[in-house]
Amino acid sequence: MVLSPIVAFALIGLGSGGLIAGIGLGVVLSYRGGGVINLSAGVLAMLSGFCYWALDTGYFGITFPTGWAITLTIVFALVVGVVFEFGVVRPLRGQPPLAKLTATLGFFVSAQAAVVLGFGEEARPQPPILPSGIVSILGYTVPVSSFWIAGIVLAVTLLFVGAFRWSRFGLGTRAAAENEAYATLYGLSPNGLSLANTLLMSLAMGLVGLLGASIAEVDSSTLPLMIVPALAAATFGSLNSFTVTYIAGMLIGMAESVLIFFSSQSWFPTNGIGNPLPGVQELMIFVVLVVAMFFRAGKIPGRGDIVERRLPPAPRPRAPLKAAMKWVPLCAFLMWALPFGFREGLITSLIAAVSLLSLVVITGFVGQLSIVQLALAGVAGFTVSHFFINFGIGFPWAAIIGVLLATVVGLISGFPALRVRGVSLVVLTLAAAVAIENFGFTNSTWGASVTGSLVPAPSLFGFNFGPNASFHGIDGAEPSPLFGWFCLVVLTVIALWVCNLRRSRLGQEMLAVRANERAAAASGVNVRNVKLIGFAIAAAIAGVSGVLLAYSYGSITADSYDTLVAISLIAFIYICGITTVPGAIQGGLIYTGGLLAYAILDWFGLQGNWLNLLVGFLVIASLVLRPEGGATYLFYRSKRPASEVTS
Amino acid sequence: MSETVLSVDELSAGYDQADVVRRLDLRVDVGEVVALFGPNGAGKTTTLRAISGIVKPSHGTIRYLGKDLSRLSPTVRARAGIAHVPEGRGIFFGLTVAEHMRLGYRGETVDPEQAYSYFPALAPLRDRRAGFLSGGEQQMLAVARNLVRRPRLLLLDELSLGLAPVLVEQLLPVVRQYALDNGCGVLLVEQHVQLAIEVADRCYVLSHGDVVLHETSERLRSDPDILVASYLGQRRRSGEEAAL
Amino acid sequence: MSAVLSTSGVSVSFGAVRALSEVDLEVREGQLVGLIGPNGAGKTTFIDAVTGFVPARGDIRLRDRDISGLPPHRRARLGLGRTWQTIELFDDLSVRENLAVAAQRSTLASGLGEVFLGLWHGEEQVAEDALDLLDLRHDADRMPSELPQGRRKLVGVARALAARPRLLLLDEPAAGLDSHESAELGERLRRVVDAGLPALLVDHDMSLVLGICDYVYVLDFGKLIARGTPEEVRNDPEVRAAYLGGSTADMASTADMASTDMLVTMPGSEATER
Repeated sequence: MVLSPIVAFALIGLGSGGLIAGIGLGVVLSYRGGGVINLSAGVLAMLSGFCYWALDTGYFGITFPTGWAITLTIVFALVVGVVFEFGVVRPLRGQPPLAKLTATLGFFVSAQAAVVLGFGEEARPQPPILPSGIVSILGYTVPVSSFWIAGIVLAVTLLFVGAFRWSRFGLGTRAAAENEAYATLYGLSPNGLSLANTLLMSLAMGLVGLLGASIAEVDSSTLPLMIVPALAAATFGSLNSFTVTYIAGMLIGMAESVLIFFSSQSWFPTNGIGNPLPGVQELMIFVVLVVAMFFRAGKIPGRGDIVERRLPPAPRPRAPLKAAMKWVPLCAFLMWALPFGFREGLITSLIAAVSLLSLVVITGFVGQLSIVQLALAGVAGFTVSHFFINFGIGFPWAAIIGVLLATVVGLISGFPALRVRGVSLVVLTLAAAVAIENFGFTNSTWGASVTGSLVPAPSLFGFNFGPNASFHGIDGAEPSPLFGWFCLVVLTVIALWVCNLRRSRLGQEMLAVRANERAAAASGVNVRNVKLIGFAIAAAIAGVSGVLLAYSYGSITADSYDTLVAISLIAFIYICGITTVPGAIQGGLIYTGGLLAYAILDWFGLQGNWLNLLVGFLVIASLVLRPEGGATYLFYRSKRPASEVTS
Repeated sequence: MSETVLSVDELSAGYDQADVVRRLDLRVDVGEVVALFGPNGAGKTTTLRAISGIVKPSHGTIRYLGKDLSRLSPTVRARAGIAHVPEGRGIFFGLTVAEHMRLGYRGETVDPEQAYSYFPALAPLRDRRAGFLSGGEQQMLAVARNLVRRPRLLLLDELSLGLAPVLVEQLLPVVRQYALDNGCGVLLVEQHVQLAIEVADRCYVLSHGDVVLHETSERLRSDPDILVASYLGQRRRSGEEAAL
Repeated sequence: MSAVLSTSGVSVSFGAVRALSEVDLEVREGQLVGLIGPNGAGKTTFIDAVTGFVPARGDIRLRDRDISGLPPHRRARLGLGRTWQTIELFDDLSVRENLAVAAQRSTLASGLGEVFLGLWHGEEQVAEDALDLLDLRHDADRMPSELPQGRRKLVGVARALAARPRLLLLDEPAAGLDSHESAELGERLRRVVDAGLPALLVDHDMSLVLGICDYVYVLDFGKLIARGTPEEVRNDPEVRAAYLGGSTADMASTADMASTDMLVTMPGSEATER
């Protein structure tokens, strides 16, 4: 009987399906309650999971009995909900959806860093709170907990459906979601409704965190990244229907589980060394999300919020050459003079700045926020590695091919952007990034095994200028300043070129498209071409950063281009200024593992995660207080008064 | 001397630092229906929005029953008895007629039967979503839902927008009667001038954010020339007349 | 005089709602044509249909070329310049850059050539001319958000001019202006048209439209209900009914109003008798 194992695995999948559906419910609640695409719903679940684990195992010194631990975890979830409401949702009321989404990314980064700092990176086996028995179905063992999770989440779903249909709170939320201004005219309080929805959402996420214990260990990435399938499920529900979201979530979980069964079969494609092809689940979720986007996203109800503010302004660069002449020699000198740890940090900063410039072009200029840029960098990086391993081709041809390949993939990623925009594009690129990482980079044929994929040092005419070059810094240690100078030259050229782009006609057209697509078209701008060129340029720059990163590591793994890292990159650029070149460079300097991070580690002994913890808060603060970003503010404000006097 | 429900003094308001309403004065008394006329962009809608609090004035004061409203949120103003039926009707397409009657803030109770008594045509439609009502039915729902709130001040923005005049002819008398019975002040923005003059006590004509005419409806009914002149923006005429 | 724009049978539907039905309209060389009508009559929809922002049925010709199937940017490049009721400037670009975007005719090749090879173009002369024509030189390097509403409206017009249009479509350029600014805008528009650029003007300010236009069309509920010279339109009882509300029958009841000749003698009308 071929069917029976499929049925059994589908039933096993009820468990993870329930978690996906549960997080999906959180996404829907956040959107209906406050217009927020909540990328940190999974993070909220993870926080509760860790809380329960800590209370139950006595991690903080006191061991609570299960009942108490559960109760306290629920209280904790509510407290986190209040923090989320007043820290993320409330400050960003009236901001555009993209800003709200970015704020949840900030919360994501902070909460994740907090967990890593508090509990470390390893997974924590949780004592399950659900019955742990098994039943035998069609000759296969299925854990009872799967049914429990599916049932409990179904109960929650029905509760939400009922509340939204019949309660005064539900009616009010529906009204406010349709048009907040009109709702206030009836005496409804949008703040109160928003708080109630956030609390409900965090309660549900707390429950998901508790339930998750029964089928998996708690760690800092599994539940957070479950947001991707959850978003797919919620998109099927048009971010509006609890029932459809539940069903879609369950189906995705069951399909994932069946794929696991398939991968144990002999006909399943392998990665060349005998293991089943990795990342097929993530690829499926991406495909499901694309399908959901195209068929359901159009039905996502728009929100009649009161205020709209766009991306911060992208001022024309002032005398970029002069600035370069000042800073580049200084940086070149430091590259030679600084001790090795700082030198390494500086190199990391320069490379990060290049990848941030890619975001400046695509988000700052063209107005499309894309999470896939780091994955594009990875495409280039792995190309360089595999052209050496498989064909013996090295610098510069492998690098050029890598960048070209990244450009092509980036261009392809631009086509959906012609149809989906704004927050939907973020969701789509997030899923694409996860799919590329899991399907592409963890596959040892074209990606890397956990031990890494070798990258040769760059050399031209036999002259090695990689990190291991024989010319050393003043302290006589690696990495070689030669490689640092190489990165510096690349960054300088690209930074000046991006400045040039902003001043060119193409750059003006990009900003015109960013500001107002209709008016741009009415002024004769071909919106489609401008967007596609923007995606291609940004992908090329991302590709360059990926090549540099590969050279600097010497050996790369899927983690080198991790999606979580991509998310934190966006947080850093938002703080410093996503619309300007100085913003990208400053972002690189303070980036995790960069110069500032190393200095903090060296002087104060604080890990890079402390920086990440701070970054989340800074993202929200800068979105509210200084949306143009710190560096943009510093660079362009100081000269402002003069121009104001003359005008 | 009748009691004043609303008095607006030197109001300036607008969007993006650009004032659409400029130093506007107006007054609505208890039980009185006041009409606000003028071409598009003259600032009528903005005036109503400033009164209900959706738009923050840049200058001037708005008093409601003698109280300065400037520090109160739209929510508080609504709960204090200001009802605003905005342009676009201010109803929620996803909610049914009956759900509109249950919608409200904590502690508020409205009597749905009262609403259906104002507009009996709504009663058989109670389980229909507002989005599936006809334009006239939607407007009835908006007016009924706001009347059952027992407001002291009712702001109506372009009831006739996209409706056949005959429908508006049904709506306005209900409002008129409610104002008389309950001492509610009504401020009405309307482009169907003829219809509005029939029910209004006084009229203001706005042009480019200023009041260009303030007259009783009685006078305007008897002498339409005044209105035509001001409404079509021929303000110079009055000066000429004086010169002649 | 030949027709610059001619439409015939232009209809637009939004779902079951017919926003425009069978509109025939013509703008001739050297003409400033007005399009008026009450709120929601379909005036903006007409401009959207002509410029390609809403799907429309019917024939739309720009100088005898059928443009009805083209995407908006192609129509713009063929010579349709438009402004927006809500202004819709590029907020992230300075006034001069706003004009430059419209003035440039960059192709894929020239755009890439410029950013990769540094092939710079000088200031666009036509953009500078538009700045001068509308008296905006003083504000050229400021950001749109720094300008008052009236100036922003002018920038919108200047941007449309900078694209070297063959026809200008103006959507409520006077809305939100004070009466002085509105009159000033009217003067400038008349100057632009007299300099050889035909235009279609949609506005609610009747004294502005009737005062400066050569020919006027009147829309109500998506249908043309009248057309003619400003005097003819003023005297049309249906037009007054549409504007002041009430049915035509209502108007007949206020007989003195329909019979008054006051409107004909209004001072605004003299401007059109040149």
